[in-house]
Amino acid sequence: MIEPEIPDLLPGTLYMLVLRALARGPLHGYAIARRIKDTSANALEIEDGSLYPALNRMLVKGWLQAEWGISENNRRARFYKLTADGRKQLERETKQFEKLVMAIQRVMRTA
Amino acid sequence: MSGEPANRLMAVWRRLTHFGRASTFDRELDEEISLHIEMRADELQQDGMTRADAMARAGREFGSALRVKEETRAAWQFRRLEETLADLSYAARALRRNPGFAAAGIFSLALGIGANTTIFSLTMEFLFSEPSGRNPETLAAMRIGGNSHAYMRHYRFLRDAHIFAGLAGSNEEAESNWRSGDETYRLHAMRVTDNFFGVVGVPLAVGRPIEPGDRDVVVLSDRFWKTRLEADADVVGKALTIDGRPYTVSGVLPPDHRTVLGFGFSPDVYLPASRENDRVALIARLPEGMSLPEAYGRLTTACKELDKVYPPEWNPQASWVTNTDVVPVAGLARLRNLRMVPFVAFFSMLLIVVGLVLLIACANVSNLLLARASTRRQELAIRLALGAGRARIVRQLLAESLLLALLGTGAGLLLNLWLASVLNHVQLPLPIPVHLLIQPDWRLLLYSAVIAMASALIAGLLPALKATRGGVSAALKRTERQVEGRWNLRGGLIVMQLAVSVVLLTMGVLFVRNMTKSMTMSPGFDVDDTVWASVRLVPEKYPTEEQVRSMTSAALSELRALPGVESASVARVVPLNGNSIRGDQVVADASAEPVRVRFHNNDVGPDYFRTMGIPILAGREFMASDRKGSPEVAILNENLARRLFGDRNPVGRTFRYPAPSLSDPITVVGVAANSKHFTLGEEKPLAMYSPYSQGAGGNLAPHLLVRSSRPEGLVREIARTLGALDPSAAIEVKPMRNALGFALLPSRIGAALLGSAALLGLALASIGLYGVLAYSVTRRTPEIGLRMALGADARAVLNMILRESGALVGLGVAVGLGVAVFATRPLAMFLVSELSPTDPPTFLGVIGVLSAVAAAATLAPALRAIRVDPMTALRSE
Repeated sequence: MIEPEIPDLLPGTLYMLVLRALARGPLHGYAIARRIKDTSANALEIEDGSLYPALNRMLVKGWLQAEWGISENNRRARFYKLTADGRKQLERETKQFEKLVMAIQRVMRTA
Repeated sequence: MSGEPANRLMAVWRRLTHFGRASTFDRELDEEISLHIEMRADELQQDGMTRADAMARAGREFGSALRVKEETRAAWQFRRLEETLADLSYAARALRRNPGFAAAGIFSLALGIGANTTIFSLTMEFLFSEPSGRNPETLAAMRIGGNSHAYMRHYRFLRDAHIFAGLAGSNEEAESNWRSGDETYRLHAMRVTDNFFGVVGVPLAVGRPIEPGDRDVVVLSDRFWKTRLEADADVVGKALTIDGRPYTVSGVLPPDHRTVLGFGFSPDVYLPASRENDRVALIARLPEGMSLPEAYGRLTTACKELDKVYPPEWNPQASWVTNTDVVPVAGLARLRNLRMVPFVAFFSMLLIVVGLVLLIACANVSNLLLARASTRRQELAIRLALGAGRARIVRQLLAESLLLALLGTGAGLLLNLWLASVLNHVQLPLPIPVHLLIQPDWRLLLYSAVIAMASALIAGLLPALKATRGGVSAALKRTERQVEGRWNLRGGLIVMQLAVSVVLLTMGVLFVRNMTKSMTMSPGFDVDDTVWASVRLVPEKYPTEEQVRSMTSAALSELRALPGVESASVARVVPLNGNSIRGDQVVADASAEPVRVRFHNNDVGPDYFRTMGIPILAGREFMASDRKGSPEVAILNENLARRLFGDRNPVGRTFRYPAPSLSDPITVVGVAANSKHFTLGEEKPLAMYSPYSQGAGGNLAPHLLVRSSRPEGLVREIARTLGALDPSAAIEVKPMRNALGFALLPSRIGAALLGSAALLGLALASIGLYGVLAYSVTRRTPEIGLRMALGADARAVLNMILRESGALVGLGVAVGLGVAVFATRPLAMFLVSELSPTDPPTFLGVIGVLSAVAAAATLAPALRAIRVDPMTALRSE
């Protein structure tokens, strides 16, 4: 199966960003997108179309759990929260990402 | 990472739980998406948009909700699997719409796969079946001093040396007489040492096995128990009269019992080997972890000890260590044994042959699919144009051949089960009881699955690739004639099919010719005017050799007195029905040097040569005066006479055996014409005949031979006469012609198996050839119509068509013959010496048959084509 493209985002970082956004507590889909947009000061924007497939793939992998709850504006909404596996995955991806960024920076600065 | 597979498994499990709640999932996803869009719209509204504008914008930003839903759903699905299932159900519908096409494909594959799996089952049964017992892989058969069987005292010595976890012995040639009511039947018994069942670990269905200390107990085979004792439920504890003594039934073997010997050998009963002159083949249970070389080492050490106590009787200076070997009785290791080579070769050849048959069947299906693909061209073109990937369409087309292969395999397995039950009930004309026990098992299923996949790929891949080649524009063209040349894929398939069937037919015809050659081949003795009565006397009734002698001579004189009997004689071995080979040193008086010769050594009575119709070329027959105590004499066959005495006249000359000590001189009294002794295929056998009463007088199982002008009519009379003489003797009387069954068996089996494989291949190839040629001629009907309309001569058109298919057929046959010349070369080992693998009549016959089929396949549609009204033909364009 072909993974959908994630334009404007570094490839493979969507899972990490979603996991990070959920690290501080459960959120519903729209709030996840909003959180990423806000914390990145509007620099990163998740394409709405790719968010839900990604969330569901993460449910299958067992990184997330979903529960229905009530949103801040009193609407029924589906909240996603990290599982223990998801937290481990976040750590792993963060470490790898930091290594990668440092390596790239080193190359860019010395060149 | 150790958690990885577990996580994978959990992921699969989560996906599986999704199946149950697919509709809830869709509803919830809709809700989630609309909430997402509304929340975005709320935000936009706060920035000052109207509600309607905000909703529209939010919707636009979100993009295609349909696509998002599709992709989200995909996260939970087994996409490949579901697509495959969809492909299969589509293929099933396509097959239902074309029942003729489906039936032809399934039929071809069922025949090919049925033949393959049956030969596979047969191969497994013969080469890989394991003896019934505990851990057969740690059992090993042993020979000491080059002898297949050891005397009880030697066996006991080795057993008591405790060099293995257990050592047992068995004798498979132990015939016994079973007295039931007023009849005496001959039983094929297996005499085993009392620890045999324990060492081998043979399981029983009922009762207990023969145990140490047992003397007069008998274990029955399932077949004997069911067919001769009506499956008596209370049989254990009852007594059977065997060889004049009561034996208590201790147990019954299960129906799937397999002997250590294998090859379907199945005796009626197991008896304890308790007599001192019993000889047993050794079988050892190796201790855990002991390798064969280690076992061999221990055995040879024990043999050296045996030399001290019981030196080899044929030569006290020799050692039991020479020609000692240890061979496994099960698994692949058994096949490495040199004696198995002809069997492995034969079954490998059979597997290759049926593989070729399957290849032909696959080519048939391939051709059918190609023909169908050309009618489905536009459908495929449209799907390609709509953006379906080529891989996706190839997969879908393969689903069709996969479905055909699965159905064909199903039908083939039914055929296999039926053939296996036929084979299991075949009564082979053998002097020993052989019953096949072919059962479907996991190996058969696995093999069938592999065969099904392979056939699907072989049959389907080419047509699928071809159908999707060239892309949209080529495919959209209305007809395919512009795209294809004359030497297209289908032509290639015909050439391949023809070549393969030429190879198959050549093999089949060779083996059939081999059989007819063997059947008409003279064995060197007369089989038409001779009757053979084999008698087995109960040992307990004849304690002395003298009693056996007087019984044998009484029987002979009674037989000679029967009306119509010209002569009667006795022999220890009936040629072609038993082995009398002997290897020994011989010194002829003509030279001082001993020569080592391997010759057939039979003991025969007076009048033997006259009775058997073997000419005496010089000297005389044995006479009644050549008896025990009179000077030793012998008759040589031409080959041995020449070997020992060169061109000199051997009659009156003498020879001696130098070992173990120089024997008295033996006088040659006659030279007999050469004849066959052990196999029909043997070349230049050496043979020596000794007077029956000098060597074999005490033989309990004499073969009586009777010469008469009316052999068939005498059979019952002989049986009655002998039966009256001793009712306890087991007697079997048959015309000598029937006795050739054993000798002809190998060539008959070869002819039956390869002949039917070749016929099957030819039938499949003919169907395929006919279909393809007929189809290609029919497709050219418009062109032919046009030519005819333009004034072409019917004969010229016919010639053109014949020339074209003739070229294809010629090429196929030529390729096939080229391959066949090399492929049949290794077959020489299975053929009688008079027949060469490159036998010209065989090759000419094969060319003739295939050309006839090809001509029929082309002519019929071609004649139809030229009779078509040109206008009709043109209008169809």
